[in-house]
Amino acid sequence: MGAVFMLMLKNPDAMAKEGALSAKAQLMGMVASWDAYATILTQAIGVGGILLFGFVASWLFGREYSEGTAKDLLALPTSRTRILNAKFCLYLLWCCALALSNLLLGGLISLLLDLPAPTGSGLHAQLWVYGVTSLLTLLLGTPLAVFALWGKSYLAPLGVVALTLVFSQVIASAGWGYYFPWAVPGLYSGAGGEYKAQLDIWSYLILLLMSGAGYLATVTYWKRADQSK
Amino acid sequence: MDIISTYRLCKSFGSTTASDAVSLQVQEGEIWGFLGLNGAGKTTLIRMLLGMIRPDSGNIRLFGQELNTGFNQWNDIGYLVETPFAYPELTVAENLKIYYKLRQLKQPALIDEVIDRLKLSPYRTKKAKVLSMGNQQRLGLAKALLHKPRLLILDEPINGLDPEGIVEVRALLNELAAGGTTVFLSSHILGEIAKIANRIGIIHQGRLVTELSTAELAQRLQKKVVVQTRDGAATLALLATHYTAAVAGPDNTVEISNPQALQQPEQLASLLVREGLPPRQLQLVTEDLEHFFLRTIRS
Repeated sequence: MGAVFMLMLKNPDAMAKEGALSAKAQLMGMVASWDAYATILTQAIGVGGILLFGFVASWLFGREYSEGTAKDLLALPTSRTRILNAKFCLYLLWCCALALSNLLLGGLISLLLDLPAPTGSGLHAQLWVYGVTSLLTLLLGTPLAVFALWGKSYLAPLGVVALTLVFSQVIASAGWGYYFPWAVPGLYSGAGGEYKAQLDIWSYLILLLMSGAGYLATVTYWKRADQSK
Repeated sequence: MDIISTYRLCKSFGSTTASDAVSLQVQEGEIWGFLGLNGAGKTTLIRMLLGMIRPDSGNIRLFGQELNTGFNQWNDIGYLVETPFAYPELTVAENLKIYYKLRQLKQPALIDEVIDRLKLSPYRTKKAKVLSMGNQQRLGLAKALLHKPRLLILDEPINGLDPEGIVEVRALLNELAAGGTTVFLSSHILGEIAKIANRIGIIHQGRLVTELSTAELAQRLQKKVVVQTRDGAATLALLATHYTAAVAGPDNTVEISNPQALQQPEQLASLLVREGLPPRQLQLVTEDLEHFFLRTIRS
C-alpha cells in the first residue's frame, strides 16, 4: 500500500483516475520521498506487525497441539524450558527476518520508483525508529505463547491478537494508548501523529513488563499445568 | 527391582475421578498389560507416569527414583501416548532426527537402526503426512524405541496396525522383554493384552479392579460343559440329580460348571446315552476374555 501511495504521489496526473487513493495519500500530507515511504514502512510494522508477528507466535507455540506433537516434547532429557526458549529464539528470528524483508523490499521499491534518496543522518534516524518499533512489536509476542499453550491450539492466540488490535484502536482513540502495550509500537512508529509525544518511560516499562510476564507465564504454565492433550 | 511403583495414586478432573488410589508394581523385564474401557483412566495413569499430569495425591517411583521435577532418567523411558502424530511436512528420517537431538543422543546410527527395525526403510524419505495409519503407528513406535530405553510405556500400541503389523509388534515387544526391557502397555482389547503380557491389570472408573498373571487369568476364566439333547427339560432334570451347578441354557441346552463334569465329560455323555437322551451336542466351553473382563468390572 505504501508503494502504491508513493507511485501515485510521483505520478499525480497518470494516477488521477485512482481518485480516492490519491486524495487519501495527499490528505495524509505525504510527498513522494524516501522519508515519507520509510514512515509508512515503520507504521506498517508498528500496527500491522502486531498482526503479523502475532501469527508467527500463534503458529510456533500452537502448532504442537494442533498437530498433536506436544505430548512428544514433555518427557525428554531436554527440559520444557529449553524447548520453549528455542521456540522464542525462532520467533525472534522470524520477526527479524520479516522486519528486514519489509525494509529491503521497501528499499528496492523506492529504487524502482526513483524516490529522492535519504540523507545520511535522516536514514540513520529512520532506521533507528524502524528498529525500535520492530523490537517493541515483537516483544508483545510472549503473552500470545501462553494463550497458545493454554488454548492448546493456535486459534486462542489469534483471537487475542484480533482483540488487542480492536482494543488498541479504541484505547488509542480515547487518548490512553500510551499506557496500553499493544498501542505503544503504533504510537512510537508515528501512526498516531502527535500522540507519539505522550509516550513516556512508563509506556515502555508497561510493555516490557507485559512481555516479561508473558514469558514467565508461558514457562511456568508449561512446566506446571496438566498436559492432557 | 521395581521399575514402576505407584502408591495410592489419585487424580480427579472436576467431579470425574480418573485415578482412585492406584497402587501397582512392575518388575524389570515384565510386560505389564493395562486394560480398561475407554475413559477408564488408562491414559491419565500413563500421563502421570510420564510426568505430564500431576497426581492429586500418592507418589510414583521409576527405577527407584521418585518422579518429581528433579527426575532425570527420561532417556531410560520410551513412550507412545494415544494416537501417534509426527511433523507432517518432515520425512520419517527427519522426524526421528528431531527426537534424536531432543534426547541428546550421540550415535547417529540409531536412526537407521530403528528405521530398519520398524520396517520403515521404504518410507525413510517420505513425508509423515503421506504415511498410512499403520506406518504412522510404526513411526510413533520408532520414536519410542530410538534410544533403546529400559522402560517402554505404550498406550494402545497396536491401534491402526494391520494383522501382520500386530504380529510383528507382538514379536518385537517379546524380544525386547527377553532382552530385559520392561514394557507397560495399555489396551482395551483383552485378547491382545493376554497374548503379549505376563501380568494384567484391569482398571475401571479409575480403580485398579484386579491384577493377575496370565496363568492366573487362565485359571479364573469360567469353564462349563454345554449339552444339547432332543428334550432339554428331561436332560436338565436328569443332570441336576447327578451334578451340582446344572442350569438351563439358551436354545434348549443345559450348562454344567461342575468340576467332575469338566474333567470327565465322557462320563456325562455315557450317562445321557444310558438314560435314553443321547447328546446332539456336547461342548467344553471356556469363557471368552471379553466376558471375563465385563464380569470383572461389574462385580
